[in-house]
Amino acid sequence: MDWSEILRFSRGPLFHLSLIIFIAGMTYRLLRIVLLGWERDRTKRQGSKLWGTILNYLRGLIILPFIPWVRRTFRNNALTFIAGGFFHLSLFVVLAFGAAHILVWQSLCGISWKPLPTPIVDWLAAVGIISLLVLLINRLTHPVLKLLTKLPIWINWTVVFLPFITGYIMTHHLWFRYEVIFSLHMISVCLLLIWIPLGRISHFLFYFFSKTIHGAQAGKRAVTP
Amino acid sequence: MKEKTIYEHLRDKGLSRRDFMKLCGTIAGMMGLEFSPPVKALGKLAHPTPAEVVARALTTKPKLPIIWLEFQDCAGCSEAISRSSSPSLAKLVLNDIAIEYHETLMAAGSQAEKAKEECMEKYRGKYVLVVEGSPTVADDGIYCVVAGKSNLDLLKEATAGAAAVIATGNCASFGGIPGANPNPTRACGVADLIKDKPVINIPGCPAIPEVTTGTILYFLIMGELPKTDHLLRPLTFYGHTIHDHCLRRPFYEAGKFAESFDDEGARKGYCLYKLGCKGPTTYNACAALKWEQGLSYPVQSGHPCLGCSEPHFWDGGGFYQGQSAALIPPESKTTAVAAGVGVAIGAALAGVNAAKKGRAKKALTSISAVGPGESGAKPISQSESKKEG
Ligand code: HEM
Ligand code: SF4
Ligand code: SF4
Repeated sequence: MDWSEILRFSRGPLFHLSLIIFIAGMTYRLLRIVLLGWERDRTKRQGSKLWGTILNYLRGLIILPFIPWVRRTFRNNALTFIAGGFFHLSLFVVLAFGAAHILVWQSLCGISWKPLPTPIVDWLAAVGIISLLVLLINRLTHPVLKLLTKLPIWINWTVVFLPFITGYIMTHHLWFRYEVIFSLHMISVCLLLIWIPLGRISHFLFYFFSKTIHGAQAGKRAVTP
Repeated sequence: MKEKTIYEHLRDKGLSRRDFMKLCGTIAGMMGLEFSPPVKALGKLAHPTPAEVVARALTTKPKLPIIWLEFQDCAGCSEAISRSSSPSLAKLVLNDIAIEYHETLMAAGSQAEKAKEECMEKYRGKYVLVVEGSPTVADDGIYCVVAGKSNLDLLKEATAGAAAVIATGNCASFGGIPGANPNPTRACGVADLIKDKPVINIPGCPAIPEVTTGTILYFLIMGELPKTDHLLRPLTFYGHTIHDHCLRRPFYEAGKFAESFDDEGARKGYCLYKLGCKGPTTYNACAALKWEQGLSYPVQSGHPCLGCSEPHFWDGGGFYQGQSAALIPPESKTTAVAAGVGVAIGAALAGVNAAKKGRAKKALTSISAVGPGESGAKPISQSESKKEG
């Protein structure tokens, strides 16, 4: 087995299989939650559900994260807030605007868009890696967090960190032959895809469901979400 | 009678000593001898220059016999050599430095067969076997038969007396086009079949002529095959990727990509990664040696590298599909089935849960009918609320 063969395998059948497991797993998870049952919302309708939803996203995703002192996020949890925030930003930009990843999206859904300049993506990738390391050290040293952290969380961290670090090394052509590090990148991505439905990283999808539902409920009651 | 040395042969053809020394310098450069350690290893004499090493070999050695076989191929590698615009060198190697039996270039037929057999007999143990095109092992090799003999027999027969085997082109090295999925003839590389002789691969589609002839020369001069990588490719020529030496590399680093073959980026010479360039994973000398006497090479001329020196480059997705794209994107049917499986399992488990809940409710109502304090109903099991990371 040489590495160009491993690369072909991991870009081909392995990635294919991981995607299938990912899709099946996520639909399963979603359905289980949906079928847990819906309480009928008998509240009298006082406001717009749509507006509530929009407001919920605006506050939760666009406004509040950038004025963290309002909810004392800073005072209680500055490190988690900053490192976590940068990590998510980095992940989003790298996956949505890195040239290599846009080609992945194109091969999967047929649409493509303009990448951001590599230096920007690259810089953010480094920020993401540093954030992940900061979060890890925090978890390892914080007396309470340490007790709360069980195996699944370590797995979460690892499967997210591996694609990041291998991608970064690959882009910079450090230490490895390209086909070797590319294979490692692909294998770690496949691990991530398979793990997501099994663990809490599935929040990347559920987050949007709960945000929408809570927003709509608040909107119906005409209260601020 | 003692055989004439190469130098004597060239001198008889009218080459002056001065031109001969110049030629030796060129040959040393072409073989990449400057960089290869054997020169120093040979340096029992106070460090001869590479040109001196070449000159010494050419003045003492007779012509190197070469037998050139073709199996499943397009003769493109031979074409590349015979059409190479550096006739002085490639032709010189094949005409004046080596004696050759070439199946295609000689008119085929029983005479050619006979000439080959005589050549094999006369130079037993001394000749270099060059193989172009892939051997095929399916059905005992009947898919490639020359003069009534299967390619497997021909290969076995010819390697038996060879001092070394050079597989030129991707087909002979790794199976090439004939070996592309689904590989009906079970084409494979020469090295997959020949285990008892030194084999070296010069993959490419075609192989770069200077690399094939350079390797032949290396063998003639050093008496052994050059150092190779894990795919048996000579390190001097396959030690770096196209990407390593690419002149578009600064654009790659800056993230400036041509989006199509005729857009502004293409005109400005931007990186061809998004147009399918396989340069980052392709080890070959194109970017360093260039083709046509250093005139240009594909990426320089505006075409993405196809990865032609790598095993199975035909099966690495489309030539114009970027290297990070999924090789087997799931079709919508597969996606639907996957989602369906998720839904089915989810619904089934939800059904089981609902039934359990129903039973629990019933039990509860019966308890309240009997009155509090009586047992009989299990509390809804805690294990059902899942924990996750
Ligand atoms: C879906 C399949 C994926 C493929 C085919 C893929 C492919 C690639 C390739 C080819 C590169 C390097 C491009 C270059 O040499 O310039 C790269 C870079 C990178 N990838 Fe991926 N990737 C995938 C998914 C992911 C995921 C899920 C993550 C993160 C969780 C990730 C994180 C990164 C990072 C951080 C970089 C470095 C970016 C930079 O420094 O500019 N990749 N990826
Ligand atoms: S054109 Fe190809 S080989 Fe050149 S820098 Fe871009 S990806 Fe690398
Ligand atoms: S640029 Fe790539 S595909 Fe083209 S000849 Fe060189 S190695 Fe082969």
